[in-house]
Amino acid sequence: MSALARDVAVAGVGFSDFTRHGTPEARRLAYTAVHDALVDAGLRGDDVDGIFEYKFGPESPGAQDTARMIGSPDLAAFADIMASNPSGLGGSLAAVMAVASGVCDTVVAYRCMTRESGYTGGLSGTSAPIGGREQFQVPYGYGGGIIMNMALKKSRWMHEYGRPEDDFGYIAINARRWSALNPRAVLREPISMDDYLSCRTIVPPLRLLDCDYPVNGAVATVFTTAERAKDLRQPVVLIDCMTYATGRRVDWIYIDDFLHGATVDCAERLWSRSSVEPSDIDVAQIYDGFTTVTMSWLEGLGFCGMGEFGDWVDGGKRIGPGGDFPLNTAGGQLAEGRLHGVGFLNEATLQVRGQAGDRQVADAQVALVASGLYPQCGAMVLLAGDR
Amino acid sequence: MTEVDDMSRLGDEVAADARPVPAPDDISRFFWDAAAERRLVLQRCAACEQLQYPPDVVCTFCQSEELVPTEVSGHASLYSFVVVDRAFHPGFVPHLPYVLALVELAEQPALRMVTNVVDARADELSIGMPMRVTFERRGEVTMPMFRPEADPQ
Repeated sequence: MSALARDVAVAGVGFSDFTRHGTPEARRLAYTAVHDALVDAGLRGDDVDGIFEYKFGPESPGAQDTARMIGSPDLAAFADIMASNPSGLGGSLAAVMAVASGVCDTVVAYRCMTRESGYTGGLSGTSAPIGGREQFQVPYGYGGGIIMNMALKKSRWMHEYGRPEDDFGYIAINARRWSALNPRAVLREPISMDDYLSCRTIVPPLRLLDCDYPVNGAVATVFTTAERAKDLRQPVVLIDCMTYATGRRVDWIYIDDFLHGATVDCAERLWSRSSVEPSDIDVAQIYDGFTTVTMSWLEGLGFCGMGEFGDWVDGGKRIGPGGDFPLNTAGGQLAEGRLHGVGFLNEATLQVRGQAGDRQVADAQVALVASGLYPQCGAMVLLAGDR
Repeated sequence: MTEVDDMSRLGDEVAADARPVPAPDDISRFFWDAAAERRLVLQRCAACEQLQYPPDVVCTFCQSEELVPTEVSGHASLYSFVVVDRAFHPGFVPHLPYVLALVELAEQPALRMVTNVVDARADELSIGMPMRVTFERRGEVTMPMFRPEADPQ
């Protein structure tokens, strides 16, 4: 029995192609990923009674569009979840709750992005006066989405813990070591610490290679009851536990722990609900929209002490192929492509199923997925059904 | 130069500044009104006595609805900063590079403000150094800014 009211399993994972060029139709990308996930599970649109997707805006077709395309007879629950959630994993977290609660039996979650939306999210040309809480930030040039926040974190991090910039580089380099083994990844050339430390800055000290890589693509996941999953096409992958976290006095800036945000709250609740210990994790998929985020998560989740990532990572050996803490084994958003968290869940599922090809971690039975960042955290533990 | 000439030149300068300005509202107006008088005024909770920023409709520490506008010293320390050398809004293009900073006010731990550092060269700045509030006019609004404090008290 998991920590959920009704045991839930990942039944299928699906992908569109990920591309660096061109302007493919978002509807086709989303349909392709969802259809692929249903085929993977051995299910049809007719079986689907719930759909949740995560979006920034009109870049992605909504849950109802997708229901129509796949031929769902009726949706018992659905939502288009906006950008304040734990990134793309928000759709999957909602899907798990829908199945666990008994509201739905078979639910699809997906995220669809195009480079166009990935590029322009941080730019603003408005001349209108700024209202709301942003009136205390944007007039000071705190723009570019969350880029300034990430740059301020990196700067503070190096000062507070007296660490070199190399610590962040290990995460960027690790992404390419794994993506070299993943045919779906868009950036597969290896990079060195010199490459990292000499690449251009976006807002110094934040560098290009600290930032994830926008792609055209979509990723989908199908969830159903653990009971039903036994009769489907794939090995059963169970959701052991899940949680969101926001922390108290929810914010990106004006909180006590500026460097870790709610990753600590998320970890406390996750581990208190999980049937496994942090030391049982065989493979971890942790959000890397920026290298700062991955470092916050690893420390917040308790894999190393605060500020100790740089020592813990052991020159990158620990998290790379053959290391004892395989991290972001598909290359993550830094190298596989920015699919906002759902890519991590699908990779975790493939690893637990033993279907991750050249990058398969031997005997991976317990996987951690942590998505989103700071006041919008979400995490899951996945277990092999025959464990 | 006549007074009229001077005013028109001032007008040009203001029009040329295309950086966004805050839109004071029912919650924030006291803050911007005080800034126009070159005073830094935050909300203090009458119940738990915590200062909070940005302003809100309740105390986000204890949920009391009794918030008292309270002037603070303007003393702070530099919590983090970055030198922004590309614009994410066209209004900042003429102002590049600029220093975007988080300062921590002296009155309370983790009481931070997003601000710009002015009257200093970027290579003179270091995290932890003492800062002091100053004020800068932009259009109709006066904005609190921070500069290194020459003589920390």
